[in-house]
Order: sequence, then C-alpha cells, then structure tokens
Amino acid sequence: MRYNISAQKLWLIFILLVGIACLLLINGCAPSKAIADKPGVLLWSENCQRCHNTPSPTTFSPEIWETIGMHMQTRALLTEKEREKIVEFLKSSR
Amino acid sequence: MKRTIFCIQHAIPIALLLFSSFHASAQTTTNTTVDSSIYDRLNFLEEQASYHKSGDDHFMVVGLTTFGFMSNKTTNTLNGVSTISKTNTMADADRYEFSPMFLWRHEKKFLMEFEPSFNNNGLSVNWADISYFALPNLIVRMGYFVLPFGTYSKKQAAGWINKLATDPMGIATIPATDYGVEVEGGLPLGSMKMNYDLALTNGLQLMPDGTLSGGNIADNNNGKTFTGRLGILPFSNSCMELGVSGMFGNVGTPGTLQSNVSSNLYAFDFNFVKTFIPILVNIKSQYNIVNIGNANYISPVDSTQQYTFKNKSTSAFVQCAIRPTGIQALHDFELAGRYTIYNTPANSTWGANQHTFSIGLNYWLSWRSVVRLTYETYTATSTASTLLNAFTGNTNSNTLFLQFSIQL
Repeated sequence: MRYNISAQKLWLIFILLVGIACLLLINGCAPSKAIADKPGVLLWSENCQRCHNTPSPTTFSPEIWETIGMHMQTRALLTEKEREKIVEFLKSSR
Repeated sequence: MKRTIFCIQHAIPIALLLFSSFHASAQTTTNTTVDSSIYDRLNFLEEQASYHKSGDDHFMVVGLTTFGFMSNKTTNTLNGVSTISKTNTMADADRYEFSPMFLWRHEKKFLMEFEPSFNNNGLSVNWADISYFALPNLIVRMGYFVLPFGTYSKKQAAGWINKLATDPMGIATIPATDYGVEVEGGLPLGSMKMNYDLALTNGLQLMPDGTLSGGNIADNNNGKTFTGRLGILPFSNSCMELGVSGMFGNVGTPGTLQSNVSSNLYAFDFNFVKTFIPILVNIKSQYNIVNIGNANYISPVDSTQQYTFKNKSTSAFVQCAIRPTGIQALHDFELAGRYTIYNTPANSTWGANQHTFSIGLNYWLSWRSVVRLTYETYTATSTASTLLNAFTGNTNSNTLFLQFSIQL
C-alpha cells in the first residue's frame, strides 16, 4: 500500500509536532527544589538588578505592582512563579 | 437605738444593691456606646476597603524622560586638510526623550502596552502591542514591538537604565521595532533557567544605498522575517545570562535592483551582574553581524551606472560598571566605561571603521533617577568608495554629556 503525502502536508505535520514538543517542554520544565523554594525577596534582588536597580517596594501601590509585574515578565522573561513571588514580596513589603 | 441599728443594717445592703445596679447600668450604657462607635468605624473602613478594592482590570501610566547638555568638537581630515566644528547643545539633541507609557491590564491574562515618544525625531511610537499570557511560561504578543535581537534594544536602552549617555553605535543602529506576532517566555531548567523569544514580522527593508530600515506597517515584499533569541542563565543565582539571536528574511523590494536580496543577522550577548562585597559589578556585551545578499545599486553620481560591494557590517561593545553599594559614603556613585567598534561595508557610500571609548560617572538620586557625566571619544577611518563621491577621510570627535534621566 502506498501513501502519497504532499510536501505541504509533511511541513504541517512537522510544525504540529514541533509545536506539541514545545508546549510539552514549556509545561514540563521544572526547577530544582532549591530554586523552587527561593523567596520573593531573593528573586527580587537577583532578577531586577540584571537590567536596572532593584526597585523600592514603596514606589507603587499593590495594584500597580501587579501590572508592573506583568510588564516586567514580558521584558525580563521571568517565569510565572518568579513574577508571582516578586510581586507578592513587593506588595507585602510596602 | 435598736431601731437605728436595724435601719443601718438594712440600709447598707440596699445601698450596695442600688450602687451595683447603677454601676452595672452605667457599664452597660458605656459598652453600648463603645460597641456602636466601633461598629460605625468598622462599617466605614469596610466601605473604604470596598471602594479601593482592586478590580479585574487596571490602567496606569508610567514613563521616562531624558534630557541634558552636550558639548562636541569634531575634526574631519581629508588629504591632510582638517576642518573643525564645535557644537554646544542644550537638551542633548539626539538623546532628548519624553515617553509616557500606558499599561492596561485585563485580569492576569492580557496586557496592552503603548509608549509614544517625543524626541529629536518629533512624535513617534516606541511600541504599541498586546500580550496574552497564554500559559504559565508562554506569552503571545501582537502589534508593534521591540524585536528579540540581542538584549540592548529591549532591556538596556532606556535612559534611566543605560549606564552611559549614548547608545553603542552599530548595536542600536539596527531597526529595533517591527509589526508582527511574537511568542516568548522564561523556563526553569533544574538549577538553571532559559528563555526564548521568537517573532514573525514584516521585516527590514533594504534602502537604495544598501542600509536597512525597519518598522514599516506596510511590508515592502511578501516575505516575512523571522527573529529569535535563546537565552540561558547557567547559574542558580541568575547572575549571568548568555544569548544568541538570529534574524532572517527577504529585505529587497520587488521591481528594484535588489528585489531578491535577503539578509541574515546574528547577535551574541552576555550579561553579568554580581556583588563582590562592597562592589556591585555590572558587565554587558553584545556582538552583531549583519550579512546582506549581493546586489547592484544605482550610483549616486551617475544614475545610469551601477556599483556593488560586499554588504557586511559588524559591531560590538563591551561595557563595565562598578558601584560601591556597600560603602555608605559612595553607594550612590557609579563608574562606567564602554568600548564600541562598528565596521560598515568597504566600497559603499557609508563604509568606515569606527571606534568609540566612553567613560562616565553616574550619581543615582534614587533607584530610578540618575545624573550622568559621560565623556566619549570617536574615531573613524572611512572605507567608502572614492568613485561614489563619499567622504574618504578620517574623523575624530570628543564629546562631553551631562544628562539627567528618570523613570516615573
């Protein structure tokens, strides 16, 4: 039995498989326990200063920190857990 | 007498009873009053809390501004003859910027970012995009955004972040923004971390002199440009980041001499920030390679003639900043230095081997406002074609910048 699959379909299948692999990778990656247990204050000091000075928690209100956190996740490419912990630290340390 | 004693014996318990009754009554009245005021206060606070309670959506404005003073002396030398020009400019003409940034958040799933900018080019837009936080570590963005090519344009170029008053030439010359769609995110990787940033955009456009322009809402050809960066943070404390980027696409405009020309751009970046008590050390570097396919160009001297050249440019910078954060008397000061090299194609109209050395002293007024004093020397040896009437001499310039920058 012979199957005829066009090059276009092969590309679509390839892209689909790569997409699934990427999604699995994105959701399957896990930090080590030591990294996962890092508190927000440590993540704040380690990640913010890679680009700019560490911000003072008193600068913004909790609601603003939530929005800034999302903006910074897109810029610094933080993981979601890192963003949540850093924002929580900034909100609670005002 | 007996009667008197009897009266006293009965009067004392009655008085005590009356007193205790009165006292209890008074106490009840006081308690009622206190409770009522506490309840009123609680109700008021509840109303206040409810009034200020965060909604699902949030809108805010931040932004930045940079302005200053520049004093420059430039010497052009051609065939042994030198010409000198001097300029003193308030507002530091090339680097003045007033850019408010509007952020709209819809729950924790959507974020819209819009940053108009008033600068030396008039009014422009730095970015206008919407991000969808699709998965924990997957963000999809659409609109007009900063391309993921290297890290300088996306993470270090803002005035209040930059350690020196100028941008590194060649690195910031590549068009930084474009229209398209992007996926990005950060991923944990055991004790390490990695991040990815991939974009499909209209792409750059090849100009008649062989340079690239970008950020066009109408694409000049049907081909789309792929840009991607992968970054890895090998240490558990995230102090170092290494990145590699590529940008591939057709840049030629149909119907022109360069219709089928494509470009391949590569960038390698390095970032290291760590405190060696009492000094905070900050090292940044990026190396860009720009390869544009072979093409013929119309001569600016005679439009009936064509010329060609190998269209390859390279640029790189290394920057180091130290700040004595652990020394009370000096912790607001920062010393920064940067060396930049930028080589543009020989035998073009814009070929040159260029170098700059910049040194600066920064004083941080707060974590997001800085006064910068930067001194920069620039030397260039032209490699442009003499047949194209291009300047083929040498250029030296010295510039002093005094600049203030703040993020609000």
